[in-house]
Amino acid sequence: MGKYLLRRILQMIPVVLGTTLLIYALVFALPGDPVAAMFGDKPVNQAVAAQIRSEYNLDKPFIVQYVLFLKNALTLNFGNTFAGQPVVSVIGRAFPVTVKLALMAFVFEGVFGVIFGIIGGLTKGKWSDNVILVLSLLLISVPTFVTGFILQYLFGVKWHVLPATAGANPGFMDLLMPAVVLGSVSMASIIRLTRTEITSNISEDYVRTARAKGMSNRQVILRHVLRNSLIPVVTYLGADIGGLMGGAMITERIFNIQGVGNTLFQAILRGEGTLVVSIVTILVMIFVICSLVVDMLYAVLDPRIRYA
Amino acid sequence: MRSSILVFGMREGADSMTDMTMNESNELNQSQAKVFFPDPLPGQERFVAPIEETPLREVDSVDEDVPPTSMWADAWMTLRHNPMFIISTILAILVILVALFPSLFARQDPSACTLANSLEPARSGHPFGFDLQGCDVYSRVIYGARTSVSIGIMTTILVTILGGVIGAVAGFFGGWIDALLSRVTDIFFAIPMLLGAIVLLQMFRTSTSLWKIIFTLTLFGWVNMARITRSAVMEAKNLEFNTASTALGSSPIRNLFRHIIPNSLAPVIVMATTSMGTYIVSEATLSFLGVGLPPTVVSWGGDISTAQNLLTTNPSVLFYPSAALAITVLAFIMMGDAVKDALDPKSRTA
Repeated sequence: MGKYLLRRILQMIPVVLGTTLLIYALVFALPGDPVAAMFGDKPVNQAVAAQIRSEYNLDKPFIVQYVLFLKNALTLNFGNTFAGQPVVSVIGRAFPVTVKLALMAFVFEGVFGVIFGIIGGLTKGKWSDNVILVLSLLLISVPTFVTGFILQYLFGVKWHVLPATAGANPGFMDLLMPAVVLGSVSMASIIRLTRTEITSNISEDYVRTARAKGMSNRQVILRHVLRNSLIPVVTYLGADIGGLMGGAMITERIFNIQGVGNTLFQAILRGEGTLVVSIVTILVMIFVICSLVVDMLYAVLDPRIRYA
Repeated sequence: MRSSILVFGMREGADSMTDMTMNESNELNQSQAKVFFPDPLPGQERFVAPIEETPLREVDSVDEDVPPTSMWADAWMTLRHNPMFIISTILAILVILVALFPSLFARQDPSACTLANSLEPARSGHPFGFDLQGCDVYSRVIYGARTSVSIGIMTTILVTILGGVIGAVAGFFGGWIDALLSRVTDIFFAIPMLLGAIVLLQMFRTSTSLWKIIFTLTLFGWVNMARITRSAVMEAKNLEFNTASTALGSSPIRNLFRHIIPNSLAPVIVMATTSMGTYIVSEATLSFLGVGLPPTVVSWGGDISTAQNLLTTNPSVLFYPSAALAITVLAFIMMGDAVKDALDPKSRTA
């Protein structure tokens, strides 16, 4: 196990390097001069522009910029944004909000996805299964932002049940609706995944053996069917954390949440390379660590998998 | 000729066991049977129906005179009788027809808008009413199909080719090629598709070409396809027919094209069909974020995006393009589900 863990951690290094290099190259290739844009309508003062360029290393070749960025990133020194704030403090303000939002969405999709998936799988072909299946298909085919608008309009504007927008320092109630919207598509996928797994596992030989041994239905479902069906669900959930962070860009825009998604989106629009790459690096780290945790969980869930 | 497996009529698992032993014990001598099956203790007797009442019956029979069918023919048989496949195919064909010949379905020019008609309700000839700019919503919905459908289909084709080739090469050659390609796959896998697409599309914000969306979605979407193809190829590579084919003198490349690829196509096809809907939704999302197609291109995503501010006053302007998008995506996802059921016999048993 220890050896396997070490190998996986070593494998993470090229992934993180490659991903940041890729994003950095994309942002660097953005057309337009962000420094010139900072002057707005006023004429560009060449001396000031040159000073800003050297401050942000924009006058150096791309690969030097990237290496300098990496060197600083190792000490968590991501530099300043164009507006003059330290990137670390901008991220520090935005991250807790998005982490809260993503965690709520994660819990929502995990709990309801698995519960509805189990109900659907165990009552295959009955009306409850059909209703769940149709609803999950609808959730997948309607884009998140449409679901978001509709919920925002109904619950926030028309019925005043929940706050329509979150604003600064959002609490649990402010984030409830955004989290549901953010998690809805993944929840539908989890419902479908759980349902398929259960219907295929329930006709397996080991289930018949368990029943023949005289185990109660409840025991058979909980100990055998569920345990085997949930392994792919765990994989999906683990890989989805990265997706939730990315999807937060849409949800945060609809509900005006000052989180990572919004910050990142604004940074992309302004062409602020450092901020974009800093946020992406952190997101990729989260994603890579999550997939490592998922692989470790496998060994717990599935006794057949043993890492050497 | 028919071959079949015969079992005893089953009422309950335990009883049929007893049935069988009763039947066999006729052939054994009584004392031997006594050793195996001692007389029941008092209170443990159970009723065993005589064999005449529970006759032998067929549970599984194979008609051996029918020529053997391939997996594909079998899948096609299943598909033809699946109502979900029929409905989704009709919907998909309809959507594709609309995308190919929009002028057959709508007479109005989607870009001919008169501000005087702004937000007018539906009237004869304009069944869905008008949007803020005074454009006919119905014809915009009809003409928007082409954008979404071509992005969905083209992206799926390119993703299948790119991901399929990378996955097949990695799975087939193994070794350092696999190690290298797997690391590249990991790098792209770690970037959420939407995030990468926004960064890339930011560069081409003014371009009206559909190809910028198609290439971007392909660049960040091929990873899953590559992973699935790789594992399917690795599985097919180790099957006996490859050894047999090699023993008969076929080269590895011939094995790859003649045996391995046809045998690893099923998961690839399933993945391609189901992901088509996802690409259509992604295009709409990118247009909503303002980095997709500019408003001059008629597209569902763009129309939904411009209609968002009208939600409180004129929800129907938002509703129609959303519904069209949802129906299209639904058709492709349902079709993928049906194909998956047909190609994966294991999921069919229940």
